[in-house]
Amino acid sequence: MKLIIRIIAIGSLTYFLSPFAPWWLCMAISFLVCAISPSSGLNAFIAGFLGVGLTWMGYAWNLDVQNQSAFSVKIAEIMQVGDPLILVLVSGAVGGIAGGFAAISGTTFRQLFVKPKQNSLYS
Amino acid sequence: MKTFKFILSFLITLTIGILFNTRLTIAGSPIPPLGKFLSPFQGFLQNAENEAIDLDESLAMVGVKEPVNVHFDELYIPHIFAQNEEDLFFTQGYITAYHRLWQMEFQLLAAEGRVSEILGSWALNFDREQRRIGLKFAAINSEEVFKKEEPELYKLLESYSNGVNAYIDELSYADYPFEYKLLDYEPEKWTPFKCFLLTSNMNNMLSKGEMDIEHTNAMRLWGREVFEILYPERPLEELLDPVIPRDTQFDFEAIAVEKPDVDFPIEFKNPVLNKQNPDNGSNSFVVNGSKTANGKVILANEPDLSLNLPSIWYVVHLNAPDINVMGASLPGAPTVVIGFNDSIAWGNTNAKRDLVDWYYVQFKDEERNEYLYNGNWVPTRVEIEEFVVRGEDRYYDTIVYTHHGPVVYDRNFGNSGSEISNLAMKWTAHLPSKEIKTSYLVNKAENHDEFVEAFSYFMGPPQNYSFASVNGDIALWINGKFPVKWEEQGKFILDGANISHEWKAFMPQEHNLHVLNPPQNFVSSANQHAADTIYPYYQYDYSYEYYRGRRINDRLRIMSKITVEDMMELQHDNFNYNAFEVLPMMLDSLDSASFTDTERNYYEQLRQWDFFNNPERQGPSIYEQWWTNLNNKLWDEIDSSELKVYRPSWFNTVKVLKENPDFFMIDNQLTSVKETTGDLIRVTFKETIEDLEEYLQEEGNSLLWYEFKNTTISHLLRLAPFSVDNVKIGGNRHIVNAASKGHGPSWRMVVELGDGEVNAWGVYPGSQSGNPGNPMYAHMVQDWATGEYNKLLFSEDINADSEQINYSLTIQPK
Repeated sequence: MKLIIRIIAIGSLTYFLSPFAPWWLCMAISFLVCAISPSSGLNAFIAGFLGVGLTWMGYAWNLDVQNQSAFSVKIAEIMQVGDPLILVLVSGAVGGIAGGFAAISGTTFRQLFVKPKQNSLYS
Repeated sequence: MKTFKFILSFLITLTIGILFNTRLTIAGSPIPPLGKFLSPFQGFLQNAENEAIDLDESLAMVGVKEPVNVHFDELYIPHIFAQNEEDLFFTQGYITAYHRLWQMEFQLLAAEGRVSEILGSWALNFDREQRRIGLKFAAINSEEVFKKEEPELYKLLESYSNGVNAYIDELSYADYPFEYKLLDYEPEKWTPFKCFLLTSNMNNMLSKGEMDIEHTNAMRLWGREVFEILYPERPLEELLDPVIPRDTQFDFEAIAVEKPDVDFPIEFKNPVLNKQNPDNGSNSFVVNGSKTANGKVILANEPDLSLNLPSIWYVVHLNAPDINVMGASLPGAPTVVIGFNDSIAWGNTNAKRDLVDWYYVQFKDEERNEYLYNGNWVPTRVEIEEFVVRGEDRYYDTIVYTHHGPVVYDRNFGNSGSEISNLAMKWTAHLPSKEIKTSYLVNKAENHDEFVEAFSYFMGPPQNYSFASVNGDIALWINGKFPVKWEEQGKFILDGANISHEWKAFMPQEHNLHVLNPPQNFVSSANQHAADTIYPYYQYDYSYEYYRGRRINDRLRIMSKITVEDMMELQHDNFNYNAFEVLPMMLDSLDSASFTDTERNYYEQLRQWDFFNNPERQGPSIYEQWWTNLNNKLWDEIDSSELKVYRPSWFNTVKVLKENPDFFMIDNQLTSVKETTGDLIRVTFKETIEDLEEYLQEEGNSLLWYEFKNTTISHLLRLAPFSVDNVKIGGNRHIVNAASKGHGPSWRMVVELGDGEVNAWGVYPGSQSGNPGNPMYAHMVQDWATGEYNKLLFSEDINADSEQINYSLTIQPK
């Protein structure tokens, strides 16, 4: 549940703030979100990867559909990837990798300041 | 451990961030920064536009004094209505940048010799050449003088620049034109200096043509007699149909220059400079009221240049008190270059004239601080040019200047081996000039006198300017700054130490060739010889056009009751004058009795061809291949010569074939038999059939001319998906409809003037928007090919509710 909330938080912040900042804002967001909420490294990576990756991919797909792939077909040819859909998928992957590793950084950053949980004497 | 984990993951993250933000080279090809480029919020998808215009309807800008209205019509031509000229040119800058920023900046970076800043070291030699031939040097000279002598107009250049900068300032990475993202760089501030670079760039395209070094080589190789056979100044005088009609009288005393006692050649070497495209040329013709159906004057013009996207031209309508002008502008400078206003219309074609001369320079010593001139050692001026090279160290090039001009060829450039030749370049384009003032005044000119006055400030590139006015006048002026030359001066390399090899004077404007309302009732120009031999000045160029002008004049002489549609049709005339003059002889030389079936088939197709290069005929393809093969075989001595020389014109080639069947180059030196014209024709006919049969097998279709020719409008970066190929258009080089493979009519305009009104039509192979992601990108190409002209909206009453207006916006002062 927490993972889903984190994905949504990273995704929506990325979606709403990205138009006003450089592309790497998504990395800062992933970092911050995972720095303020506790999670394991893997958990954070998934949150960052899916949060940013799905947002990038979804938005890219949306823009491409609105444009009926008129432009992406040409770019796919220039980048020699063939199908414009590959560009959309690669966009998602690039955003995902950037977000995922930033999220791990965020969570390891948090762990610098959080004392490891002591096992309670009463539990 | 925790610290280590953090540092490790943070470093990985940082590396990824930097990697995705950096342009990488993978397998030799550069990849744009993946994060920036692929982010849907900033990257290439932001350039995919769904609306033709995405500007706000209401803008507020610092730099605008009073509200300006901009209305885009159905072709997305902006109609700019301002209340003063500063606002007008500010807005022209802003709107042009909106549609064409990348192109306008990139082409001037190229002119300035700064492309390696973006493309890296492989462009360095190009950049060095641009600096060495003085394109930047000329722009600096012109700006300095202009700023001092024309402060009012300089202010308008600043307004234009401010407008461009107002647009640039609004942009974030997401808004950059696509090409910036692909090549990963940023636009820089616009300055008036760039407007002067634009003139340099036009000179580079249109006034740099010369073959001085090649001529020198040809004289060395073959001597005067052969030289005259290959490169006569006026082959077949009786066929020439000069720009200025033959019966024109010249009632002035020409400035006299005496030819010194000189023996050519004095020095030779192998040239390496890029040549301007020899096809650069144009057609313009004007008929007066006695030749038209409705008694009005009609002017037609099309400049033939490289066919590129974004297009070289940007069409605008500029309106402010005292100015109401429309036509084609060059992105990068204010005003309209080819167009019309309420009173007049004007067009131009390149006036061919040798304006570049090479002077052999002797330096005193290795220091190169002094050179020999008129028996004395004269000091040089040395400038060190800096080149920023992407991804590499800066490069420095030393350029030595003499009073002739920059020493282009020296020990650092264009010389190989131990023998160094120093050649200084003298070119009218290096002189400070005020073309922008001419353009500004022409935009406002109301009659022939004001038109002529405007050109008193014009130096180049020299053009044949055709003129028409509402009151019925037609005229043609060959405008430009022309040195007075003695016979053959500058046709070969000149001696830089000899004072008598210098240009002594320039022709005064009133001696420039012109004609007003000639008795033939029309004027025309198509880059041919300027005048007949009674013109008292020596005039020479190596690449006069021999066919288009004759065809146009042949037609205009017999045409009457001319309509606007007739003029459009003449612009699209596909008559192949070259084939008409040589193909019958070629066919007659064949031995039709011994034909195979295939040979007979090709022969019959050519016999039945009517010499029109229409898009869906096969005859033009067969002829083109044959003529190419014939030239290849005929001039192989020239192509393979170690000393660089060049092929004679097509026109003169025909003359040689017909008049000199025993000319030594016709003979194939590798065989023991002596070949003649007839042998050459028969051998190349067989070759041609083999080539075409192979083409048919490989391409698998027919020999339709437009497919065979494959006219392509190429994106400036030669990106195929942004280019349009296989355009269905006829014509070819040396045909009035001059559309060849990558070159042709870059703006077709027809203007009708009379009864107090001006009507105009136009089309060009491209679109106002230069964004390959715009839905209208290249939308006019098909209309251009088929000859569908757009009626241009030209009225002072245009407003947001006008029927043909698609989009309007207002710019308020802030």
